Amino acid sequence: MEEQQISPVSQDLDNFFNITFDTATRTLLRQAAVWAKIATICAFIGYGVTLVVAFIGRPHYTLQSDESFATTGATGAGIFGAIITVAIGAFINYFLYRFAVSAIRGVDAMDSVSANEGFNSLRTYFKILGICIIIGLCFLALASLVFFAGMGSSVRY
Amino acid sequence: MENLQEQSLLQMNLDYDGGHILHETARWSRFLSIVGIVGISLMVLVFALAGTALIAGLSALAPSVASLAGTGGAILILVLLIVFAALGFMVFMLYRFSVLTRRGIDRQDQAAFTEGIKCLKIYFIVSGIFAILGLLGNLSSLINLFLINRIHI
Repeated sequence: MEEQQISPVSQDLDNFFNITFDTATRTLLRQAAVWAKIATICAFIGYGVTLVVAFIGRPHYTLQSDESFATTGATGAGIFGAIITVAIGAFINYFLYRFAVSAIRGVDAMDSVSANEGFNSLRTYFKILGICIIIGLCFLALASLVFFAGMGSSVRY
Repeated sequence: MENLQEQSLLQMNLDYDGGHILHETARWSRFLSIVGIVGISLMVLVFALAGTALIAGLSALAPSVASLAGTGGAILILVLLIVFAALGFMVFMLYRFSVLTRRGIDRQDQAAFTEGIKCLKIYFIVSGIFAILGLLGNLSSLINLFLINRIHI
């Protein structure tokens, strides 16, 4: 009798079907999605508050004891920084919100397509976070390089 | 037998697309967790080596921290330790999610997969608590701003 050859890809395909979203897994996934939703809603409200603080907190000029003026409140650079931070944060958190909504819908309706959409959004969320961290680390490495190069040149002269 | 077949049809399964997506999600979350673990370890190391200098530097920037430095900075150190511990736990849960979910999919291990989703839940609970605390901090800064504006008017 001829033995049937099973390719590793088809074996992998079969493996996925053996994992089920049983009651316990669905409950855990739903709770995870609910907390993710809470986190994103808090983050969105926080971004709104940050923008309000950045725009309303206009600079106040106060006379100090040494007869110089000190500025308190928001400045142009502060507003720009707040807008950039809020834009990046809102963009990242949007995917987490989409994960939460789709995962809850998928679990409630026992709909694999919605659950997959949710996981896809979660993947995008982690991916964007990872890319942001890589970019941040690159900037950090560049800054360190410039710093040590500056130190080296100052020691030489 | 028929009952079993019916049950498996009614159940929600992880299909090929879902498995592939989760596999990649686990890969990225593993990267994030490893970077997080390294980052938190470095922060703890820096704080342990230059803690007093940091408190002195902070006290020059914020007068409220100066009073803490006066009391030995015990409260500040305690708060920082709690924050570091919570962040470390959060990152560890993300790492466990990535490892267990990957193992669950690769070895068709339902228990490992469920445990991975449980770790994801814990990760989101901790991040949700951090988000609530962050929101409270933001709201307090807004209230402070309105109070300052009222004083200036």
